[in-house]
Amino acid sequence: MGQISFTLNGVATTITVNNMDTPLLWVLRDQLGFTGTKYGCGIEICGACTVLINGEPEKSCDASIGEVAGRSVTTIEGLKNDPLGAKLQEAWMQHQVPQCGYCQSGMLMGAFGRLKAGESRASTASGLSNICQCGTFQRVKEAILSLPGVA
Amino acid sequence: MLSNTAKNGSLVLGRRQFLAGAAAAFLMPVTLTLSSRPAAAATTGVGAYIRIDDANTVTLITGQTEMGQGIGSGLAQIMAEELMLDWAQVRFEHAPVDPANYGLPGWGLQLTGGSTSTMMWYTPLRTASAKAAYRLRAAAALTHGGTPDQWSLVIGGKLKHTTYGEQTFASVLGQIGNTADPATVSFAGTNRIVGQPVRRLDLAGKVDGSAIFGADVMLPGMVFASVVHCPIITGTVKSCPTSASGALAVVNLGNAVGVVETDTWAAMRIASSLQSKVSWSKPSNLKLLDSPTLSKAAQKLQTAAAPANLKSFETAGSPNDKLGQLDVTYKTPFLAHACMEVLNATASVTRTNGVVTFVELWLPTQGQSFVPATVRSVAGLSSLTDAQIKVNSMLCGGGFGRKIEQDYVLQAVKLAVAVGKPVKLTWSRPQDFRNDKYRPCASMRVRMGGDVNGVRAMVYRNISASISFQQGANPEDTGAVAGAVNLPYAIPNKRIEFAPLPTGVPLGYWRSVGESYNTFAVESAIDELALSLGQDPIDYRLRMLTGDARASTLLQTLKSSPNYTGMKAGQRGVAFLRGFNSYLALALEVALDSSSRIKVTKAHYVVDCGVVINPDSVEAQMQGGLVHGIYSALYSRVTFAKGVPSVQNFSNYRVLTPRDMPKVTVDILQGDPTTAAPGGIGEAGVPCVAPAIANAYARLTGKRVRELPFHPGMTMSDD
Repeated sequence: MGQISFTLNGVATTITVNNMDTPLLWVLRDQLGFTGTKYGCGIEICGACTVLINGEPEKSCDASIGEVAGRSVTTIEGLKNDPLGAKLQEAWMQHQVPQCGYCQSGMLMGAFGRLKAGESRASTASGLSNICQCGTFQRVKEAILSLPGVA
Repeated sequence: MLSNTAKNGSLVLGRRQFLAGAAAAFLMPVTLTLSSRPAAAATTGVGAYIRIDDANTVTLITGQTEMGQGIGSGLAQIMAEELMLDWAQVRFEHAPVDPANYGLPGWGLQLTGGSTSTMMWYTPLRTASAKAAYRLRAAAALTHGGTPDQWSLVIGGKLKHTTYGEQTFASVLGQIGNTADPATVSFAGTNRIVGQPVRRLDLAGKVDGSAIFGADVMLPGMVFASVVHCPIITGTVKSCPTSASGALAVVNLGNAVGVVETDTWAAMRIASSLQSKVSWSKPSNLKLLDSPTLSKAAQKLQTAAAPANLKSFETAGSPNDKLGQLDVTYKTPFLAHACMEVLNATASVTRTNGVVTFVELWLPTQGQSFVPATVRSVAGLSSLTDAQIKVNSMLCGGGFGRKIEQDYVLQAVKLAVAVGKPVKLTWSRPQDFRNDKYRPCASMRVRMGGDVNGVRAMVYRNISASISFQQGANPEDTGAVAGAVNLPYAIPNKRIEFAPLPTGVPLGYWRSVGESYNTFAVESAIDELALSLGQDPIDYRLRMLTGDARASTLLQTLKSSPNYTGMKAGQRGVAFLRGFNSYLALALEVALDSSSRIKVTKAHYVVDCGVVINPDSVEAQMQGGLVHGIYSALYSRVTFAKGVPSVQNFSNYRVLTPRDMPKVTVDILQGDPTTAAPGGIGEAGVPCVAPAIANAYARLTGKRVRELPFHPGMTMSDD
């Protein structure tokens, strides 16, 4: 049991948690109700739980809430607050990327993190390693490559 | 989009809120008489498919589950066409469990599977919508004046009269109860929305995180649970601890132990730690749960003269006399469904004087029809009526057949009964992989004789773990031979045989079911024969397809496509499928990487699925079918060692990521909307992938691969 403060989608947040080892994923989902971030594998493979921590794409299934103290977390619910994030979401709509949609939060956050860090569209499109069992990969790539005003 | 969307990242779904939403709107009293329905259902009379609210938003209420295939939008397009709606005013919503109204026409069951949704609903829904259009005109006459014939629909959910001007649907709803269905139904007959690549209605919530999947349901006072099953599949609980440090509750669920906690992670962790502390009853016959043993048994059944429960289909001519060119056996493994959203279910029970009087469920489910019986199978709940069981069907994060099953639903109900609070059960990924209802393993021996004009004789024997045989329903499992029977090819002498392989491995429906293995065998074997006779694979098939114009048109279209001719002939493979009431041909090009592993570098589909509701969705299903087909053909399998499944997580169940995706193109042959019926597309994209890869590989290397997967044992980190 302990108190922890961090920034969540730009909002200063202080919460009490039962266990500092609890992964950020489950604090977001079960305690804070930010259910856009998904559980897929729990072992940092599938990417469904990807969020940004201090601007870096991270698998939230493996980041303990304790590690997040004092840091800044961006989830899919906060993506629209960034102009590039909003552009990315619009490209996803234009290309009708999602099928079931379950993996798309992680797919979007992974792509956003790379683009935001200055990676090229081509490198982002080919470098993503998120799993999508509906098989939306071609449209993921097309949506990323279509982004206006991004290198 | 679905009405259950979140605001600010979370949403509490309460019963009161649900009712309030429904009360504000108006349900169209459209009568649907479906001859194929059971008689009792047909007399129910009042359909509830279309809801129009005060803001003139028109919502399709559908029994079909949206699990990524775009069915909610597709069916809403059919409605929107007849009601001349503006696409922006259209929504869809999952129906309550009510098979009499929402069950598949033709099956009477409320489930989503077999690529039947559009196939079975196209005409009934079009009819219901056309009737609704007439009744809105009649209601306009009653509300404003004139006769129904003087009113016409205007695009945007409006009605128009030369004297009374334009009125919205919403403005005439007060009189709808005083109208009746027309004597004859007339259809809009346009292609304003049907056949157009309109934007799916469920996208916004899927790009901003607000879409609520089953796994995302939150209720006031909810607790979180997870489960652990016996490490040996199908084992049951003999005895288990009644508590665990930190856990709110430990519950014996019969086939598993449930742990209830204040968050899912804690529940999963404690459940996992309990596995070694539970006393498990192991299944009695481990030989039926052992892959090497099953493999030998299948081989024996392949060569036996008359295996137990042997059934023959489509016997014609004297096939045994004309064989000789080919005698080969193809093998396919057990597969897991591996939906991105693990199995989960949320349940809440209400007690009156200590007795359970109401059960409410929030489920990702493809099998609504089966849920009430599942609830009633729980001790103490057998007398609940349908009205005392409420099911909220949530978005499914993938289904692929797994979410027809009821095992996870049953566990959630038991947990809610045990703890007396709303419970959300979430399986861990390892539990999901290791307690699946697996795609049956299969062995297919194909004997053929033929010449340059085609296959003259075929004896085909499928020995496979059979779903219906296992369930005691039917040893003559027609699903097990789907893809080997009803072939479009003219083969004058043939016999198709099936005998079930007894196994204890739990089996289930996996995207494209029988075609997922039989099409691999049939389309590989025809290609082997064509290659050995020096024949072009498309021409060879065309010579056997003279009796099926759609099939020949499809293959000729493929052959003349620049996407086909642009592939390197020595690395190119082809396969063809007539199935799910659709026709589909696939050509793909393969290459070998530096480790001599196959990579698919290009793929091109030609599809004729009759009436096309949304070409963008057809294309999406082909792209997705290719991905499903590639991962299962190249990498993945589940084996069992005396009941212990090999698979643990995605780490040893290799699937695809963006880097694996080849460029895929899709040509859709437009059916005639006035005469053609729609076929299925959700599964059709999968079966041709494995044989097309095998056929391409044979051309590239001279070697024939007859056992899937091509590269077993690869992990997600192998390139």
